[in-house]
Amino acid sequence: MTAFLLRRTVQAVVVLLLVSLIVFVLLHLLPGGAARAVLGPKATPAQLAHFNAENGLDKPLPQQFLIWLDHLVHGDLGYSYRLNQSVSSLIAEKLPKTIVLNLLALVFAVAIAVPIGVAQAVRRNGLFDYAATFVGFVFYSTPIFFLSLMLVLWFSLNLGWFPAQAPQGATVAEILSEPAGLVLPVASLVLLDVALFSRYMRSATLDNLVQDYVRTAYAKGAGERRVLYRHVLRNSLIPMVTILGLVLPGLLAGSLVTEQVFNYPGMGLLFYQEAVTNDYPVLLGITLVVGAATVIGNLLADIGYVLLDPRVRYA
Amino acid sequence: MWSIDSTRRQSLVAALGAVALVLAGCTGGTGGSTTSSSQKTVVGRPVTGGTVAYAETPGAIPNWIWPFSSLAYFSVYNISNLQQPMYRPLYWFGGHNEQPTIDDGLSVAKPPVYASDGRSVQVTLKPWKWSNGEPVNADDVLFWMHMVKAEKDNWAGTSPGAFPDNITKVTKTSEQSVKFTLDAKYSNNWFTYNELSQITPMPMAWDITHTGAAAGSGGCTKDQSQCAAVYKFLVAQAKDQKSYATSKIWGVVDGPWRLGGYSSSGNYTLVPNKAYSGSPKPQLDEVKFLPFTNDSAEFNVLKAGGTIDLGYIPPQDLPQKQAGAALPATNPAGAGYYLSPYYSWSFNYFVPNFNNPDLGPAFRQLYVRQALALTLDQPLGVEKAQRGYGYPNFGPVPVRPASKWLSPAAKQGTPYPFDPAKAKALLTGHGWTDQAGVMTCTRPGSAANQCGPGVQQGTQLSIKYDYASGTQSLDQEMQQYKSDAAKAGIELNLKQAPFNSVIGEAVPCKPSQAACGWQIANWGGGWLYAPDYLPTGEALFATGAGSNSGNYSDPTMDRLIKATLQQNGTGPLYAFEDYAAKQLPVIYQLNTYVINANSTHVGGVVFNPLGTLNAEYWYRTK
Repeated sequence: MTAFLLRRTVQAVVVLLLVSLIVFVLLHLLPGGAARAVLGPKATPAQLAHFNAENGLDKPLPQQFLIWLDHLVHGDLGYSYRLNQSVSSLIAEKLPKTIVLNLLALVFAVAIAVPIGVAQAVRRNGLFDYAATFVGFVFYSTPIFFLSLMLVLWFSLNLGWFPAQAPQGATVAEILSEPAGLVLPVASLVLLDVALFSRYMRSATLDNLVQDYVRTAYAKGAGERRVLYRHVLRNSLIPMVTILGLVLPGLLAGSLVTEQVFNYPGMGLLFYQEAVTNDYPVLLGITLVVGAATVIGNLLADIGYVLLDPRVRYA
Repeated sequence: MWSIDSTRRQSLVAALGAVALVLAGCTGGTGGSTTSSSQKTVVGRPVTGGTVAYAETPGAIPNWIWPFSSLAYFSVYNISNLQQPMYRPLYWFGGHNEQPTIDDGLSVAKPPVYASDGRSVQVTLKPWKWSNGEPVNADDVLFWMHMVKAEKDNWAGTSPGAFPDNITKVTKTSEQSVKFTLDAKYSNNWFTYNELSQITPMPMAWDITHTGAAAGSGGCTKDQSQCAAVYKFLVAQAKDQKSYATSKIWGVVDGPWRLGGYSSSGNYTLVPNKAYSGSPKPQLDEVKFLPFTNDSAEFNVLKAGGTIDLGYIPPQDLPQKQAGAALPATNPAGAGYYLSPYYSWSFNYFVPNFNNPDLGPAFRQLYVRQALALTLDQPLGVEKAQRGYGYPNFGPVPVRPASKWLSPAAKQGTPYPFDPAKAKALLTGHGWTDQAGVMTCTRPGSAANQCGPGVQQGTQLSIKYDYASGTQSLDQEMQQYKSDAAKAGIELNLKQAPFNSVIGEAVPCKPSQAACGWQIANWGGGWLYAPDYLPTGEALFATGAGSNSGNYSDPTMDRLIKATLQQNGTGPLYAFEDYAAKQLPVIYQLNTYVINANSTHVGGVVFNPLGTLNAEYWYRTK
């Protein structure tokens, strides 16, 4: 296992380097350039040249990348061209907000989706299964911006039950101190995720319910609850681990639409806004963080397989 | 030289097109059903104290406190919403009215006194004090001037050949007076509105190189060569956003407000500066600024009520406006708000590239530019694409608000009203023939009935027209323009590109350069006059000017611009703007305006076209 982890860590570093290089090149291929995007249409050629010199953008691309790498290994992700903040402080400011929102949504979604999926499988082709499938498809096929706006319209503007915007606090504690403000943004994400997760869970449970080991367990006299929760559930969760591993980057990357609709500036919005202004250091920094999360997510999923399935071993 | 507020709002909305459209369908419907009046109504009696919450423009979060910055931080939200309420510029432009003019009462200095030869100007400061007890005096002006001379590349308003190079000497003539010696004779108005307008006195408490140093010890006030170290120190302080509200440096203010709290997320408050020397004094306890991710989010919060006092209605949530009215017949914000139009001191245009190797020679012909203007139906664009919230634009001086700078001729309207048939006649009368729907030069030459100098036989008016993507209304306007231009035989090959790409390509170039391949660029905006408040064209239309994106060059225009810089009175400005309206160095296009929603329990609110926030006039009512 240790050797496996070491090998995967080395792979992760290589992957992140390659991702950074590709993103770096792609960013610099964007037409317009950072200087014009940041300084605006009124910038004179002299001002553009000064900006480029000040930010090292007048150097050859390979040299710029090496300088960025050099800063990176010294723990410096760079400085935003536009936001007057270091990239690391921007990420430190936005990331906790994003994680709070998405983690809450993920926890609620899993907590709701797993029992629903199992219950659907156990009572397959019954009324509950059809109803849950129908509702799941409705939410899964609903664009999140539409769903979010409907939630605001109904529960905030019409009924006045919840605020139209998410908590505006700067810290996690301040955000959590306004739970009412979190209800609608979390709900918009949960409804979508439940629809997705419950479908996977239903399918996995159905697959396991017809396996030999289930019949064997019944033959050995195990009760339905024991078979379901001790044997079937554990095996059915394996595909969910894959899904959760893939979801991890999303926890950090943010949910642009939800952040937009509920006035909750997190990582998604930061990436979008800085992409509009060609703010290369911020874009590279976020790419690196999300890339790392992707690699770690996959690694955690692999470890999860080992924990859930004794047959899986990594040399 | 600020970016255009209304344009930014629109761009953001458009970038979120899908979200915006749905909101229009959802909340717009709700808003449309209200019968609340749009007219200005402040109810209740004025009270002292209280808080007013102001909705920031999405994506416009103040993040630079020092009133000295490069273009990267030179924006309305940094200057008007953060810096100027605390640090007063030498002269205050945009008073408690809707005129883009100087307000002597709110200015730190008395009106400037110009020498009869126009080569020097005396500025005397009023006997104000900084919040730490320092006098606001001549040294504070010298400090800023030395800084700008030493750090020209880091000042947004630096203009090659003009500010600050054209100020050859700055002399302290008394404790409260400074004399500026100029390199030539300048128009009083131009120098006041476009150069003195840039200066913000800085306290001696800032002339230091490390925290805790004695005021003035940095030496920049006395010696320009000492300014680099002071600049470096102040930049480091300005980059430390976490300390803004507690900083002993930024806490020294001479304006009516100081920072009560600040977060880099955009939540911040202004509270009264009890030591403010000017008048009027703030009446509120606090002005609270609220950030928003987009204008749909702002509108949701506005409609939910109770959070925003001064906000705005996103364009997509406004009902179609009746012609002739400034406001919609119904009020989407509801009964707790009244509406007011906000016109920015700007004009919009798109740019033909006079140096493009293929079509540059054609663009240099006035009749071709006239044909481009005659086929642009601005009134239709206002009515359909903007649903009434705009106005046609036909010159470099903003049409709205009507000001003393708008010439009598400009007040009469456009010299080129929409007329595709006339455009076609102009082209055919100059040697162009309609070939398969596209005008083609068949009579090259310089005679009056020929295509004009440099235009080759066979040249087709088939134009690469790049415009900014993401704004539905601009897209609609461009599709209409393409259709109308085709009636005159002008083929517009529309291509949408991100805003950055469009402004990135629209840079001055030479015909031999690869970068000169663009033919027309339209980034959906234009020019906002600040801090060059007098709408002269030296930065835009003068030969070789830094922002002359289209490489326009005309000796008469240069002469008229020079006259606006050197001669007093409105005559030279009128001559320039009338010529620019007819000459079409750019093709003018419609402007939009914003509909503000103001609480009926907040009085004294006037939004000046220059974007200044005069929050000291605001009060709450009960």
